[in-house]
Amino acid sequence: MRIKVRYFGQFRDFTGKREEDLEVKSGITVLEIREHVRGLYPKIAAKNEVLVAVNGNFGALDDIINETDEVAFFPPVSGG
Amino acid sequence: MIKIQSEDIDITHYLDIVRTPDSGGIVNFLGTVRDYAKGRKVAKMSIEVYKAMAVTQLTAIRAEAIEKFGVNEIVVVHRYGDLDVLDNIVFIAVSSGHRKEAFKACMYVIDELKQRVPIWKKEITPEGNFWVEGEKHE
Repeated sequence: MRIKVRYFGQFRDFTGKREEDLEVKSGITVLEIREHVRGLYPKIAAKNEVLVAVNGNFGALDDIINETDEVAFFPPVSGG
Repeated sequence: MIKIQSEDIDITHYLDIVRTPDSGGIVNFLGTVRDYAKGRKVAKMSIEVYKAMAVTQLTAIRAEAIEKFGVNEIVVVHRYGDLDVLDNIVFIAVSSGHRKEAFKACMYVIDELKQRVPIWKKEITPEGNFWVEGEKHE
């Protein structure tokens, strides 16, 4: 299945992209897609903290991602 | 009320929004752009936000603070875009019957914001541009 992935903060610099569609297996979990993205981008792989949000929420690593979900990758936040 | 905006923050306007007849005070926090960080001079700051998620997270944090501390009203306004030294970044105002709860709720909101709300700062300095590393997400 194809899912829409967005990148924010320093990860935009690392990927050179704001978003992209990724082809992944059906039933992929948050943990698995995080490893998939780490595999695509060595600079993301090098970071200790890679946060993943699904539809605007921090979920559990074993949550299943659906085709219509919006998945976002970013480093620890630094607002305020 | 939660607002994510590029324009400056009309503090008087937002103070009036949290002002309620049953409140004995309003505690507020105003975050501003500082001219140094980690020994470096900071000339400007650029702030990026994942807006839809930031609104979701701040709405949840506001509700938690009202529930936890029993305060009357909370407004949070956060800016994004290119800011100069001295500019406003974030404004939090909390109204409450008594001051202690309002101080605690205000502290809770800014602490949670720094942990959970998807906003990132980039410092523009004479030595180059640096993304600010956030605190570890729990």
